[in-house]
Amino acid sequence: MSDLISKPFQLDAAAAIAYEEGVEGPPRRTPRVNIHTDDAAARKAGFRAPIAGGEQTYAVMATFLVKSFGLDFLRGGRLQAALIKPVFYGDTLTMHARALDGDAGPLQLEVWTENQLGERVLVGTARVPRKST
Amino acid sequence: MTSAMDAAETRALMCPENLHEGMKLGPVFYVVAPAQIEKFARATGADSIFLNDGIAPPTMRLQDYALLIAKHFHGGSGGVHAKHWNEFHAPMHAGQAVKTEGRITRAERKRGKFYFEIEYESHDAESGELLVRQAITAVLLVEGKIS
Repeated sequence: MSDLISKPFQLDAAAAIAYEEGVEGPPRRTPRVNIHTDDAAARKAGFRAPIAGGEQTYAVMATFLVKSFGLDFLRGGRLQAALIKPVFYGDTLTMHARALDGDAGPLQLEVWTENQLGERVLVGTARVPRKST
Repeated sequence: MTSAMDAAETRALMCPENLHEGMKLGPVFYVVAPAQIEKFARATGADSIFLNDGIAPPTMRLQDYALLIAKHFHGGSGGVHAKHWNEFHAPMHAGQAVKTEGRITRAERKRGKFYFEIEYESHDAESGELLVRQAITAVLLVEGKIS
């Protein structure tokens, strides 16, 4: 299998808002003020600006795997990843996958996501049921 | 000033002292909403794959950990997502009733940061079929800072 590379995905404010609308979080008494929404909170935590939720970066990688290998990924697939650098709103992400092994058993992949500077922001591995490849 | 809602709060404060390995969280129940599938799929660039069959995108319910936390804890400054893993066993479908429960599998201070891990599973609430197992590792923010 040759290396797979996704189309660029821009994680801008509109994408972040759309993502928030597509998840079910706990009900809140007050508007959300945290490292994802507030400059001061982000700086206090050590970031130069509010950061995108790691869950969205992770979700875009999972979607890339389904696009690449089909819905069978949802029956026996596995993804594990570390979020190693912050993603800032406006960053453009590109997802990558590279096969790690031979022909037997599930397909094992090295996966990673790069920002527009070529920096890896997510690194991990994935397992894909062989029948879906 | 303590509000009436604060006075009625029975959940524990989200802080290192109250997070313990082995603590069970949940369950929470929900029905997979078609509108959520549509919004989530569009937000992650996958609308054409999932919308035709009413299948939930793979990590659409990743934030169930937040529902589990909110059932037992309140307050705190949130956390920074460090790692995640998912094992997908069967797709979630629109209209499906789901039960999710989990437990804290790690709670420790390491290199000056407080890490916690929650493993959680989602099952079809009627048949009991396992749909997804997953775990989040996060660094807890204490008073807004990476502790």
